[in-house]
Amino acid sequence: MERAEIISQILAILEDVAEVSPEDVNENSVLMDDLDLSSMEILTIVADLEETFGLRIPEKELRNFVTMGDLVDYLAANAG
Amino acid sequence: MYFFRREKILCRYQFALQDAVEPALLQRALDAALSAAPYYQVQLVQEKRSFFLEPNPNPCLVYQGSAQRDIPEETNGYLFSVSCEGDTVYFDWYHFLMDGHGVSPFLTRILEQYCNLRYGTAFANTPILCSPAYDIEAMMEKYPAPTATENTMQRDVVQTYEGRMRRTRVRLTKQSLVDRAVENGVKPFTALAGLLSLALRSYLGKDEIQYSYSTDTRKEAGVPDALYNCVCSFQSSVKLNDDTRLADIVPEMDAEVLRTLQPEAKLRQMAQQMSWVYKVDQQKAPLRIKQRVFQMGEYISGVSADFWLSYLGNPLLPATPELQKYTKDFNVWVPPDGGSMGVEASSLNGIITLCIENKAEMPGLAGMIRTAFEKEDITVLEAVDLDT
Repeated sequence: MERAEIISQILAILEDVAEVSPEDVNENSVLMDDLDLSSMEILTIVADLEETFGLRIPEKELRNFVTMGDLVDYLAANAG
Repeated sequence: MYFFRREKILCRYQFALQDAVEPALLQRALDAALSAAPYYQVQLVQEKRSFFLEPNPNPCLVYQGSAQRDIPEETNGYLFSVSCEGDTVYFDWYHFLMDGHGVSPFLTRILEQYCNLRYGTAFANTPILCSPAYDIEAMMEKYPAPTATENTMQRDVVQTYEGRMRRTRVRLTKQSLVDRAVENGVKPFTALAGLLSLALRSYLGKDEIQYSYSTDTRKEAGVPDALYNCVCSFQSSVKLNDDTRLADIVPEMDAEVLRTLQPEAKLRQMAQQMSWVYKVDQQKAPLRIKQRVFQMGEYISGVSADFWLSYLGNPLLPATPELQKYTKDFNVWVPPDGGSMGVEASSLNGIITLCIENKAEMPGLAGMIRTAFEKEDITVLEAVDLDT
């Protein structure tokens, strides 16, 4: 899947779950600090991404999702 | 805790009685007990965003055979199932509705009513009442959960085994465990946790064993007669080496257990754990998303452990000597939830029975437990791997 398409999907979910405006987000945005996401919001976003991309993200990967780019990298490598 | 759990946790209590069980009498006993216990006369209704319970008008049947039925699909919607085979009564239940303390008054009542019909005893059948729900919002306000940080998301957690479930049963004399506990000045629970940690070091090949345990919070929460799930859980770890003996580790383990069993510590922990359920419930998301969020939240909050230890004690409530007279044996089987293995310890007629459900693939658990326990002078009556 194209990286741009993945980013577009994540931005839509971010806006839906946490009302984060897409223009406030870049790949270096730190999820908790820059985007002010709570742990509940991050987990909801991950659960939504699993549904959107039809995959199961192992729990041990959660600790690696610090920035927006981390999410994109994971999905780029693992989403069909 | 079980509200948003995707996995269906089905538990089994099984009692061996003095004689072959008569199904027709057991059905009458079940009917009588259920008439006095409206809490259990319910079925689960699932909607897009949530679950709820409503009265179940269907007949509640006693089934024959030892196979565990799928609850509620094969049980007329009931969230428990009573069956029998030979001399054994099987009581299966869905953890969603109740915990071990919540189920005990009901199954005890069924056994009492059965004994009335079979042996002419005169146990009463007074109503089994349930305390109203505790005020979770007040509890959360008194004990607010700490704010999650990046460190919360990034903490290291135990990688549990998730292989095919296999059962192991170990029996030991209660007196030998009490003796070791007294020698070391610790609770029997702590002595048992220490013994299991020593055994699992060999079995899992790890020098640090993480264990979790749950404790009842009915009294502290002001709901002494709650039949619903009312517990909190704690996690701890112990470092071991080739020379470690029970006496080396249990004082520190016991200090931690005693600290966590203080009423304030229990309430604080319960508030934090239930606040996660509450917050997930507040999400405007489909149920399947809530369930997944709940599951991941439990993982990062550190619930996972190498083993869970549940010290049930006597499964009968009330545990009258008269009823115990008709009860030969007891097993309790609960799937490990968030651990490689779950250890359920029950005590009946001076024998402690450990029923272990294990998801690790390695063979030989029973033998390693026997070796570790006997090295500490525990009288092991049985140690057997039931599934190959």
